[in-house]
Amino acid sequence: MATTTAAISITSSDIMDNAVSISNTATLTTAGTDTGLTETTGLARKKFATGSNTVLLDSALASGIAADVTAAKSAKVYIRNINDRGDGTKYVTILITAVEVGRLYGGDWMFFPWEGGSGKDVEFTASDSTETTLEFMVFHE
Amino acid sequence: MATTTASITLTSSDLLSDSLALSATTTLYDDSTTATGLTQCAVGSVKVHVTGGSFDLIPALASAEDQTQYVYIANKNTTAANYVLISMYNEIIGRLYAGDWMFIPWNAYDPGGDDSSKNDIEVQALVGGPQVVEYAVFTETSATNLDASGD
Repeated sequence: MATTTAAISITSSDIMDNAVSISNTATLTTAGTDTGLTETTGLARKKFATGSNTVLLDSALASGIAADVTAAKSAKVYIRNINDRGDGTKYVTILITAVEVGRLYGGDWMFFPWEGGSGKDVEFTASDSTETTLEFMVFHE
Repeated sequence: MATTTASITLTSSDLLSDSLALSATTTLYDDSTTATGLTQCAVGSVKVHVTGGSFDLIPALASAEDQTQYVYIANKNTTAANYVLISMYNEIIGRLYAGDWMFIPWNAYDPGGDDSSKNDIEVQALVGGPQVVEYAVFTETSATNLDASGD
């Protein structure tokens, strides 16, 4: 097994009267165990120039990580929009199946557990067709 | 405005043939701005019991169209087999096992009105005893980010 950790820190000194400081570290394990995840896509970088809906992680494939990521297994997804923030109006909408999860603006990242399984694609739609660069990585069992 | 940052660090010395050390930091801004920080937040901790149903952890709002929101959720349980399902608009995002956390941008807009449950972030415990789930939501300031009274 391997030991992989994901640490988060959210801080603000002025969003409330008292400082906000949230930190947490998760060790990435297989479903329901203390055994560390041993597989990953590695960190990938992809450039896109389309405003159309695009599949980033395809759960419909019969092999590869799609076959390994199912509801009964553990998988974590990291995605970052590498673009500059620009004027703040350009973003990438991240979807799971057809549900719009949220918008990643330039520099934003997200990290979430991925249920996977049939039809559970991770998709994105850029707000325009200028070039967008995403980095992503999947950890799975 | 306020300045709020979110950082992630992914590390492993033995997952790959070389060490993994990935870090990223973002500052949380309003939609369509370059320097206006989010100014509203809510932080909570709840115990999620196994009941056979799911609960609205963070309700979506009719006033949240085209706004920026970010959500942090952590399962503070310590029993490895225990998990909660995190869903959005009845679409399962994934399972947060004991000790896991997630951080996502969130489309908090409820096109059907505050109580139509569209885009609510929901939580359900399926196994184990009550699981402590902590959460924080950071939102921009152009509307009152509260569920309207009367429901």
